[in-house]
Amino acid sequence: MNGWLWGATVLVAAFVPLAVLCARLPAPEGIVAVEAAGVDAVLALLLIAQGTNRQPFGDLALVLAVVSFIGAIAYLRFVEAFREE
Amino acid sequence: MSVRDVVAWVLVGVGVGAQVFVCLGVLLMRDALDRLHYAGASTLGVVCVCAAVIVAAGPSLIGLKAILTTAFLAVSGPVLTHATARAIHLHRAARE
Repeated sequence: MNGWLWGATVLVAAFVPLAVLCARLPAPEGIVAVEAAGVDAVLALLLIAQGTNRQPFGDLALVLAVVSFIGAIAYLRFVEAFREE
Repeated sequence: MSVRDVVAWVLVGVGVGAQVFVCLGVLLMRDALDRLHYAGASTLGVVCVCAAVIVAAGPSLIGLKAILTTAFLAVSGPVLTHATARAIHLHRAARE
């Protein structure tokens, strides 16, 4: 296990508090933890790609960056459109 | 261990440390906008990890993917932070 994979392990461990926070916060505020977790996962995938010499993990990182952005924007549009009048 | 390895390890350490700092900030702050302030700072970690991959791998396919990912996150991060702050603000204004 090299330094890249140790870095990825630290980042994956950082998921746990973010997941707990996302579960505990009320609806529109928990998205902050999800956004932080998305960037966290992208970095972890990049480190895994370099640490294991497997290129497809780099593709996963790029796709995850795009998908997490689109998902967060869609959720925020939903929150704005259906807020309590 | 060559100079290139040392630079890559330092960049990985700084990048992972910055991202852990972001996670701690999001975890420990009380207000949603304070949490968002830390979440928006994750660009530093992204840039450092991307630089580490490029330094270690040189001009290669994984380096190109790291550059594309970093460029996308650097552009989308501020947009996402702004949209999140706006949604939280509107949500609070509607509740008051």
